[in-house]
Order: sequence, then C-alpha cells, then structure tokens
Amino acid sequence: MEKIAITGIGVVSPSGIGKRQFWANIKAGRSFIKKITRFDASLYPSHIAGQIDDLDKYSHISERLLKKIDAFSHMALVASETALQDAAIDIKNEDPNLVGIFLGNAIGGWLYAETELRDLYLEGREGVSPYMASAWFPAAPQGQVSIYYGIKGFSKTVVSDRASSLMALGYAKKVLAKNKLNMILGGGMEAPVTPYALLCCNTYGALSKDNQNPAEAYRPFDKQRNGFVIGEGAGIMVMESVERAKKRGANILGLISGYGYSCDGIDRINCSPDGKELARAINMALCEARVNPEEIGYISLDGLAVSVWDDSEIKALKQVFGDNLKNIPISCPKSMFGNLLGASGALDMIIALLTMEHGLVAPTLNLETPVLNGLNYVAKQAKEYKVAKSLVISRGRGGINSVLVVEKP
Amino acid sequence: MDTKAKTKEVLSNLLKVKIDELKDDISLINCIGVDSTEMVESVIALEKSFGVKLSPKEITKNSTINDIAENIQSKLNK
Repeated sequence: MEKIAITGIGVVSPSGIGKRQFWANIKAGRSFIKKITRFDASLYPSHIAGQIDDLDKYSHISERLLKKIDAFSHMALVASETALQDAAIDIKNEDPNLVGIFLGNAIGGWLYAETELRDLYLEGREGVSPYMASAWFPAAPQGQVSIYYGIKGFSKTVVSDRASSLMALGYAKKVLAKNKLNMILGGGMEAPVTPYALLCCNTYGALSKDNQNPAEAYRPFDKQRNGFVIGEGAGIMVMESVERAKKRGANILGLISGYGYSCDGIDRINCSPDGKELARAINMALCEARVNPEEIGYISLDGLAVSVWDDSEIKALKQVFGDNLKNIPISCPKSMFGNLLGASGALDMIIALLTMEHGLVAPTLNLETPVLNGLNYVAKQAKEYKVAKSLVISRGRGGINSVLVVEKP
Repeated sequence: MDTKAKTKEVLSNLLKVKIDELKDDISLINCIGVDSTEMVESVIALEKSFGVKLSPKEITKNSTINDIAENIQSKLNK
C-alpha cells in the first residue's frame, strides 16, 4: 500500500510547545513530571503529572472562543496551527472538501464538564453553560478545528483508550492511500489533569504513587516500576500523499508505510500476558510496509510501567524480532512528560520522526535496572543512531494494539 | 446607566467582544456573527442582569441592540 508523507508537526506538551522546544528537552532527557498545581490534588493517591502551564502564551485563539471550549480543544487548535505552519500550508488555498481531520482521544474534556456539572447541581439547569453540550465530548476538538479552518472533508475521531491517536493516524493513512482526500490533520489530544479525570485514572489502579519523587516516578521496564504518570497535551501532524508533497516542494519529515492493529480480547482492563496479539499487529504493520524486521532501526515502546503490560510488550517484540531484538535501540521517552493517554501515540510518533531526522534516540528516564536484561534499552541519556525505519507501538486498556511503521524520506 | 448601555456591557462581557463592535442599529448576526448558542447564553445573562423574563423568540440573532434595549425597557416599565 502507498506510503504517506508527514510534512508538518504540531506539538503541545509538558516538555514544550512547538517541535524545537520539545525536541531540545526530549534529547536532553529532562523530566517534566511535577506535583499537580492546577487544583488541590494532595489527597489523591497519585497527584503528580505532566502539566502544561503556559499554553496561553502560545495561543492564537480569541477569548470569545476559549470560553466555549475545553482545554483539550484549545491544545488541538494550537497544535494544528503549528503543524500547518511547519508544513508551510495556507489552508485557505486548499479545497475544503478534500481536507480531513483524524484525531484520537480517550476521555473527553472534563475540565469544562466538571465545572458545569457542579453548577447544574448548585444552580439548576440555568446555571449550565449552553456550550457544555459541545465542549466536553471526545469529538469536540475535531469539530472546533474543522470550524476554525473550514475543513469539510471526511473526518473521524477515534476513541480507543490510549491507542486512540496512533489508530487515528493509521486510519488517516488508509484514507489518504485511497486518494479520498488531499491532506489530513492527524494525531490526538488529551487533558486529564482535572479533579474528576485524575480520580478515574487513580481508580484504574495503574498510576505511580511515588509523589515525593515526581521526576523518578514513571520508570517503564525498570525493576522498581510502580505504574505510569499521566500527562496532557496534543500532537498533530500534516499528512498528504508523497506525490502532492513533492509537487509543492514540501519538506517531507517521514513516511508512514505500515499500520497494524489487533485486540487481545481476554480481559476488560488488562492485556494478554503472552503478547501474541501485539506481535500479530506488529507483523501486520511490517507486512503492509513491506519492511523486514531486521530493517527496523528504532522501536518506540508503549511502556505502561505495569508488569503485565511491559512484560507482554517485550514478549511480543521477541516473537517478531527474535535474537536480533538485542541489536535494535528501544526506548519509551514519554517517561519524561507523562502518558498522554489517547494522545500518547501521536507524541511517540513525533518523537520517532525527530529521532530519524536528528539521528538521536531519546532516552527512557529512570530505567536503571531492567526487569528483562539483554536488550538495547536507551536509558538515562540520548544515544546517536542512524535510524531509517522505526516502529511505534501504542496500546489501550483491555489489550487494544496499534502499531505504525514510519520511515525516513 | 441606561438600558442600552447596560445591555451592551452585559453582552460585551459575556461574549468577549469590544463594546464598540456592538452597533445600535445592526443585527447581532451581522455586527459580531453571533451563533445560536451565544444567543441562548445572552438571553439568560440579560434576564439575570435586568431581572426580567425574556423569550428566545423576542431576542434573536437578527435583533439589534436598539431592539433588545427597547424590549427590556418595555418590560421594566410594566
């Protein structure tokens, strides 16, 4: 199947807004996990996160619009704008019927919803903002970005827990490969640093409670791992056919060549410990990309820092890559800024693109003593590797597996 | 503050638009591109602010500031 070009990156994250600031912090291995300051979270078992405090500084959105939308739509609007700028696309010159938007989100816009639900019970129905209905639901960012740019082509919001945004990119690739659209804004956004969303994440039971050492709390694949840390943000990319990108002289940042997906289907919460279905998704992505396992030069790990998830991920990789796995650099850079849930795959994808561009694999923080030895973990600090082809893995609750193969142009 | 000035102030604060943008004799849809949800919010805010009951049928996107202020004033006079 046809490869799809990525020609613009927009990133809004705790590690920085815009790809330059983001990459500078990622390659330096700086942690942005801190105690939550947006509200008093001190009584929650886990009250640390990757939080964004300076979004307004980078925002082009009017106050009039901001009062109608949740933070996750705001993040998506800022990420979309920076992605379009990076791609040197003036959307006014595009045929709106041939532009689409494919975004992933897991939980919706709770900062807005919580405030309005509180007002419903305190003040009655007249106390609730009429924007509530259009602000909170997971497809709200898709709607807001579409309205902002006048996008009218086939579009979709994927809600598939933490695998949402990588799945959205996979769907977008399939749609573009069929020549249904000229370009797509693809990626995802998540804003879980709110009282109710944090409560739900705590109830899930997989968050690290190492509140006294925020920077050291998220430690995937480490013997001392004790769960993941949430983060907020958005990652949105401009996607288009290679032919169109070349024709308009665009700077092609990477090529999505393969998409694979599967479901474990054994438990409501956990994944299957054997990793077989994840291995099937990886093989599906490699097959579609027509890439042999030995050609992969970097693997971006999902890395939930929960034993059954981490261990089954490595098992799946061993099933696909065999003994050669020990030669491939593998990393989970989200340990620096938190797991962005439905947006995590999009951020991993952006890091994979920057990894190939700069020839530098970003580190997994806090990986001091791996549970499983003999693998080429890039830990503590970034390491130089010339990478031509990468594999990005994103997994969701209950064992939803999503995998992309991305190549250097 | 007269009814017209107060109407402008309420709508300006609510919709985050400058008072100058709210023209006396141009419809809200034409001067600030108000949408239907903003109209629902505007009716509720004006009701709270003036202590009168307004119907969404009386105040629409096609109303001008003059129309709205006259409507409110007539209810205040009753």
